[in-house]
Amino acid sequence: MKNKGLGEFEELILLAVCILEGEAYGISVKKEVEKHSGRSILLGAVHITLYRLQDKGLLSSEMGGNSEKRGDRKKRLFKITDIGMRQLHAAQEVRVKMWHLIPKLKPGF
Amino acid sequence: MSKSDKNKTPSLANWLISRFLDDVYLEEFLGDLQEMYEERKDEKNLFYAKLFYWIDAIHLLFGFSSFRIFKTQNNNLMLRNMFKIAWRNALRQKQYTTLNLLGLTLGITTCFIIGLYVHNESTYDTFYDDANRIYRVNQPNIWGDWTSIASSTGPNVAIALKTDIPEFEEVTRILSYGDQTVKYEEDSIQLKSFNELAFFLVDENFFDVFSYNEVEGNAKSTLKDANTVIMTQETALRYFGHQDAVGHTINVKQYDGSWQNYKVGAVIANIPEKSHLQFDMLTSLNSIDAQMKRDGWKWIWTGFSTYVKVHEGTDIATLTEKIQAVPPKWAPPTTEQIFNQTFEEFTAGYPWKLYLQPLKDIYLSSEPDVHRFGPTGNPQFVKLFIAIGILVLLLSSINFMNLSTARSANRAKEVGIRKVMGSRRNMLIKQFVFESTLYVFASTLAALILVELTLPIFNSISGKHIELFALLQQPLTIGSIVLFIISLGVIAGSYPAFYLSSFNPIETLKGKVSAGFKGSKIRNGLVVFQFTISIILIICTFFVQKQLAYTSTLDVGFAKDNVLQLHHIEQLGFDTEALKNQLSAFPEIKKIGKSFGLPPNIWSGDRYKSTEPESEVVQFRNVRTEADYLDLLGLEFIAGRNFNEENSSDKLKVILNEEAVKQIGWGKKDTYDTDSPIGKKIAIASGSEDEFEVIGVVKDFNIHSLKQKIDPLIIINHQNDKVWDYGAGNSFYSLRLNPDVVKDKGDLEALLDKIEKVIKNMDSSVPFEYSFMDQDFEETFRFEQKMATILNIFTIMAFTIACIGLFGLAAFSAEQRLKELGIRKVLGANVSQLVLLFSSEFTRLILVSILLASPIAWFLVNEWLKDFAYRTPIEIWVFLIAACSALIISILTITYQSLTAAYKNPVNTLKSE
Repeated sequence: MKNKGLGEFEELILLAVCILEGEAYGISVKKEVEKHSGRSILLGAVHITLYRLQDKGLLSSEMGGNSEKRGDRKKRLFKITDIGMRQLHAAQEVRVKMWHLIPKLKPGF
Repeated sequence: MSKSDKNKTPSLANWLISRFLDDVYLEEFLGDLQEMYEERKDEKNLFYAKLFYWIDAIHLLFGFSSFRIFKTQNNNLMLRNMFKIAWRNALRQKQYTTLNLLGLTLGITTCFIIGLYVHNESTYDTFYDDANRIYRVNQPNIWGDWTSIASSTGPNVAIALKTDIPEFEEVTRILSYGDQTVKYEEDSIQLKSFNELAFFLVDENFFDVFSYNEVEGNAKSTLKDANTVIMTQETALRYFGHQDAVGHTINVKQYDGSWQNYKVGAVIANIPEKSHLQFDMLTSLNSIDAQMKRDGWKWIWTGFSTYVKVHEGTDIATLTEKIQAVPPKWAPPTTEQIFNQTFEEFTAGYPWKLYLQPLKDIYLSSEPDVHRFGPTGNPQFVKLFIAIGILVLLLSSINFMNLSTARSANRAKEVGIRKVMGSRRNMLIKQFVFESTLYVFASTLAALILVELTLPIFNSISGKHIELFALLQQPLTIGSIVLFIISLGVIAGSYPAFYLSSFNPIETLKGKVSAGFKGSKIRNGLVVFQFTISIILIICTFFVQKQLAYTSTLDVGFAKDNVLQLHHIEQLGFDTEALKNQLSAFPEIKKIGKSFGLPPNIWSGDRYKSTEPESEVVQFRNVRTEADYLDLLGLEFIAGRNFNEENSSDKLKVILNEEAVKQIGWGKKDTYDTDSPIGKKIAIASGSEDEFEVIGVVKDFNIHSLKQKIDPLIIINHQNDKVWDYGAGNSFYSLRLNPDVVKDKGDLEALLDKIEKVIKNMDSSVPFEYSFMDQDFEETFRFEQKMATILNIFTIMAFTIACIGLFGLAAFSAEQRLKELGIRKVLGANVSQLVLLFSSEFTRLILVSILLASPIAWFLVNEWLKDFAYRTPIEIWVFLIAACSALIISILTITYQSLTAAYKNPVNTLKSE
């Protein structure tokens, strides 16, 4: 599993978790991704991906931060792990490298 | 946070989540859901919030639930245990497990294939955008039988409907152009010519009713102009290859041999296979403006099909009632002008009703049975399929029940122990139902693979293009398969479950449950049921084969072998004597004759009456031929003579068949001596003055398939210029080949080449097409032949499944009776006696099945044969053969078991107790 690259959606979620720094839970991640990517996402998709990333060891989580809006229920707050950060960097590097290899960008692109 | 606030979120969704999701997720998910709910409620409205609450909740359910239908406290443990027990039992009794799985897999495979076929047949024409609002207008067959419904109307039905009835959003008409020879000349060297069979003329608003995807050009605006065509992609590829089609000009050959230019205006995507409307080219009805403007025939030119699109929310029953006022209001001028009859006289008292048939029902309806523009389904075939599918599934479920209850002896102790340990009955039932569901699940997986492997074969037999994988990607299919597994698991598993779980623990642990012989009556009953059905199928199959063999040997009234028929002769112009003379010189050809129709497809007809006063109007089929054609067929004249081509007055004479003489009221064969029909006169019943003298009567011969009775027929001289279609219509040359010269396929091919050269020399644009008369007759039974093949396959399937069950039961019985047989052997019985004794138990069941099956099969065969004009007699020996073969195969099935049981050494079977 570890050697498998990140999916596009997984990468977006990971980035959102990084941006939110400690305040990342289902809804905030969903909103963050929606804000930057401009597409609307189902809550379940976010949760499934968050848990998958946690199973892969790229995220860790703990419960906390209950609010009245939630019917006094706790949130699960996600944090990126070292492995997660490394994977994110690796993904970024691959892209940059490949962009550089494109022979000549046509004007207008 | 107050309780009432919490209750505002949809409680059913919450319950589902708490029921199906792991507890670790609950707090977080419910919290998230509620937070979103509050926000959405504030931003939009309550409905929106609730709707999305549900969407999110269901999405989470699918994402995170595991198989937790039996959610109890020690749920996982129990489930694992149930699985383990099922697995052990399956492994311990490998023979039963294999038989069970094999039977179920065969049954489910058959059922799935049938399901796919039925689904395919019943979802025709659903791809149109407004398929639900489109109807076809049908009316009675005004040219003959007013009680039957035809799918076509006159052109003015559409105009009247549009004028009088505001409920119709669109009314559009389609007219088939018939066969058309079309050519495309890229330059003087490159010429492409095709015979187009699906070339339709349509109204300008055609695309407002039927939605198709445009590939090139604008289809809708193309229909505004005359002499422009719209092609499907496939057709465009045929003419223009991969270059753009729009803007090119094609030429369509006219009756007088000149070429009419048509400009390609648009290309649309290929018509999906599942439509009753199949065309290659369309042109606007404006292209035949002159014909469309001609008065008089507007209500009786029934070449058109009228389709309507109603406004949304229209009540069809009321609308149908409303449109009945249209024909009496608009049709009278036509009937008066053409037939000189009032509307009432013309309809002969029958109502001229208009029917609205939903588009989606058209393909698979039996009335009207011909749809003119594409394929027609067969509802009977679909019903037969559904019945067979259910029966086969039933047979394999019965196998499962029988085998499960029969091996109850082996499970009795398990049940006893479980009960003693405190297991409740419903827990045991759950265990058994779970096991059967597992079996069904495994068989379904195997069946899906089998279906995928056998579909190509099925497709080639049925002529369909059914794909499994495309369907499997739809959630609805997956859902139905899951539902199927669970319901079949419960149905097949419930009887064994209730039966097995009912054992009394004390008796079972004492060893008193007489090993599975409890419930043997039900089991025997089920075996009888299985074999009754199988034997019915076998008998029916025998009769279907017998009927098909019978019809192929029937005498059609003339020699149909060795007749080669050349098509499109009309394109050579009306005078084709030159071709005839050239071909007559060939030594391969004994006789050659021209006709404007070919048996078994002589469908043209008209209304005639005798010129005697007070005579009734009768409906005859008609065909125009020359004298040589009748000689070529070898028809037998029972009175009078054939046409004489030398005698020019013969061109207005006609020849009738016996049936026609009878129907017009001129008596039968034996009255000809006293009152001969020869010399009597006949006229067309549309007020025409022309009278035709009868010069001959031929013995009845088949102008249609052997399924039908022989229709009355009038044979008209091809030179007769007083009939309305003189000089028009498709004509054919039939050639009687000399079998002494044309001995094999090579000779035939050489001859075809020679003929093609002769025709191409005369006019290279005439397509060379030919057929053989005997093959045309065989073709009329293609459907029955397909049905026979498929019935054969399913009969074998059903019988195999029944035999698998019998084999399992015999194995079980052999095991139970080991000791009994051992003692009998010790006391002096020999092997053959033992085998007889053992087999008789099952043979009796088969005999009972035969007795039950015979009358039912007789009834079914009798019903089926009613559709045929010529029936094979229902003879006893067919029943005997079917019964004997069933009996022999089933005895062979149990022989292995009975022999091994009988040959066992009694020392081994009796030594341990």
